[in-house]
Amino acid sequence: MTVAKSWASVAAVSSARRAGRDPIALAVSVGFFAIVASVIATLWRTAAHVHGGSVAGYTAVQLTWYLYFAEAAVTALNPRQIELTGDDIATGAVAVDMLRPASVVGLRIATEFGRCVPRLTASAVVGSGLALITGGAPTDSVGLLLALPSLVLAVLCNLAAQHAVAGAAFWVRDARSAWFLYQKLIFLLGAMLIPLEALPHWLHRTAELLPFVTMAYAPARLASGHVEPPLLLLQLGWLVVLVAAAVAVFGAGERRLQVVGG
Amino acid sequence: MRPIAATMRAAVAEAWANRSAFWTQLAAMALNDLVWVVFWVLFFGKVGTVAGWDRTRVLLLLATVTTGAGIVLGLLSNARRIGQLLVDGGLDAALALPVRTLPYLLVRRVDAVNVGDVVFGIGLFFVACHPTPERTALYVLGATAGALVLIGFLVLVGSLSFFTGRSEAGDLGFQAVILLASYPVDIFSGATKALLYTAIPAAFVSAVPARLVDHLTVSDLATLLSAAVVFVTLAATTFAIGLRRYTSNALWTRA
Amino acid sequence: MTATTPALRTGLSTAIEATRLTKSFPTGRGRRRQFIEAVHDISFTVESGERVAYIGPNGAGKSTSIKMLTGILHPTSGSASVLGRLPWRERRALTRQIGTLFGQRSQLWLELTPRETYRMLGAIYRLDTTRLRSRVDELGELLEARELFDQPVRSLSLGQRMRCELAACLLHDPLVLFLDEPTIGLDLLAKQRFRELLVRLNRDRGTTIFLTSHDVSDIEQVAERAIVINHGRVIYDDRVAAMRRELLATKIVEVALSEPIAFTPSQGVTTAEASASALRLVVDTTVRPVREVLDTLLTIGQVTDITVTDPPLEQVIAEIYERPRT
Repeated sequence: MTVAKSWASVAAVSSARRAGRDPIALAVSVGFFAIVASVIATLWRTAAHVHGGSVAGYTAVQLTWYLYFAEAAVTALNPRQIELTGDDIATGAVAVDMLRPASVVGLRIATEFGRCVPRLTASAVVGSGLALITGGAPTDSVGLLLALPSLVLAVLCNLAAQHAVAGAAFWVRDARSAWFLYQKLIFLLGAMLIPLEALPHWLHRTAELLPFVTMAYAPARLASGHVEPPLLLLQLGWLVVLVAAAVAVFGAGERRLQVVGG
Repeated sequence: MRPIAATMRAAVAEAWANRSAFWTQLAAMALNDLVWVVFWVLFFGKVGTVAGWDRTRVLLLLATVTTGAGIVLGLLSNARRIGQLLVDGGLDAALALPVRTLPYLLVRRVDAVNVGDVVFGIGLFFVACHPTPERTALYVLGATAGALVLIGFLVLVGSLSFFTGRSEAGDLGFQAVILLASYPVDIFSGATKALLYTAIPAAFVSAVPARLVDHLTVSDLATLLSAAVVFVTLAATTFAIGLRRYTSNALWTRA
Repeated sequence: MTATTPALRTGLSTAIEATRLTKSFPTGRGRRRQFIEAVHDISFTVESGERVAYIGPNGAGKSTSIKMLTGILHPTSGSASVLGRLPWRERRALTRQIGTLFGQRSQLWLELTPRETYRMLGAIYRLDTTRLRSRVDELGELLEARELFDQPVRSLSLGQRMRCELAACLLHDPLVLFLDEPTIGLDLLAKQRFRELLVRLNRDRGTTIFLTSHDVSDIEQVAERAIVINHGRVIYDDRVAAMRRELLATKIVEVALSEPIAFTPSQGVTTAEASASALRLVVDTTVRPVREVLDTLLTIGQVTDITVTDPPLEQVIAEIYERPRT
């Protein structure tokens, strides 16, 4: 188990280093994040001003921090991860990796996470700067502090879930449609585009039961100045479940590959 | 014209060749666009109106931008790839043929995914935007003009790769204009708003054409058509200059 | 079918003329700006109906030269004339009369059948439908590819694809055909067939063939003349027959031995490498036939494996490079 853990950290660090080596690509990614986040933040800030200063319990400042952090959590990921994992499985590239499913999944998540680190860090920094300038100071810095580990957990949950979905590529050859749907679910049910509290009641309740809230809402809520530590526990809980799901899917798929002869 | 038409016909045949992928991609994009409708419905459900925009107006905006952008990105899809074609040698393939380079490149590829946008846009217009004959005619005119502005802008930023040797400018420009054209332009403040009517003409891709449908004014029509002419001309000129530079220098390639 | 001499077809006896072509590329920015000279002072003339191999190692300047001759690139200095036209000035007019086949880049669209691509190309080259149809049939006969034309390109083997590719660049009956590494990736049989087709094309239609390649057999079997370039300069330009006589007569014989033998090099044979279990000899076949060398080896030693190969192109070129300039 310790060996597996150290392999994972090695994989994570080395892919982080590799990703950090292309500064122009990173700048372009982060630039794009900044533009997208700023646009949606402007929209909601304007809405708040029109609405008497707040919407769904969030002031304009809080909305600003919310949206920058929600966006940072989601855009840190390689946008086509599901597709790429799906392609790897379909072409049999994963077969090479096939040790035990737990190791495969663990290693892949660790590697992908490493790759996200430069983007996540840069987005968090740039996003915070922009939130400060366009919105104002965070309403509760403790919340902001908690939002940082929450960002990390959000990315890990997202990666685990994507691997569970991509694992479906063992059965279905084209994972692209899965990706599209998945991304939209985060936008709405992960409360990335609309704060959870602004959703109609039935949608709010549904979203709370699904894992997507761990991927955007949790760090956003904390950053917006709502100090709610149980969110971190929620993320951890879902992380365990999602990783287990990914392992189960990969394990079942591996058996199928062996039978079919990938 | 005949070479260009024949190339376009082949590009459509190519996209159509894998029938199941064609329909899946089309459906996926339509679904993707539908999610944005859901977003706006939820947003305005909570907020009411913002900066003079309400749900009805935004849906018209969406219909216009998906149709116009879909035409460009679906049927003339290489418009967004000019930079990439330069960098990966796709331009040389075009130069080996007795065709006018830019038109050939533009029609050379059809992207089924974005045809889904067109289908969605038309559907949305007819379902949610009160399609009287007048409004429909204006919608068609507006989407076409918006498409021209978009294609001009994309070719322009893509052609910058002739001078920089990298394809990022084209890519970023494409993402930015599409993003900004998908939001009601009046939520933006002075400087940004001015930008959207000039350097990154997102307003002319969606907001102004949509405005025409609701309320046709001479000034809006004139500015929209002028924008189309300006960007198309700029694009053609920049591409021509860049091409001349390319053929006299070219990127250093393995000889 | 009567062979039309290309001179009659164009009224020109010279197909390609390069005069002191030079091309340098800028690299780096500002103070670190340098110029890399890809091609320097290249001059040669190709007559209508010739088959010329343009050879050189990677980075020698072949692609740059072809790009200039086909109008994709302007030279830094010097001039060229292809079918009487200045390529980079009259690109579109020239491309109507020449064909290009680049091994790395396909003209055929993967998802379509070759015939569908031909229909598009027919429109691009402004061939009317009847003429196009008869041309496609003709090429189908010539290239023995008729049954391939209606299958999606994606389903064809590489060898089959190359034949259809060749048809694509011949639709408009070009006077000059430029080929850049056309046999790359093909198996031996397919390469053979392809070379025969090129020769037949040249003999029947008088199409000038200008071919770049790494493959010595391409030179031996297709070309009548070879122009060798290295480091951007022409270092050899002569009939292939002469080259063969002087240089391609060398063969490399490698044997694996189960016991060491004492092999004394004799006239025409030099030992390149010797160990207890292997021997590598360079044989000048104009002095001593390979057969003799093999007989000797088999008689005096316990040979477990034999390989006879051509010297690598780099070696041939190295040898050319060492000779005084012709």
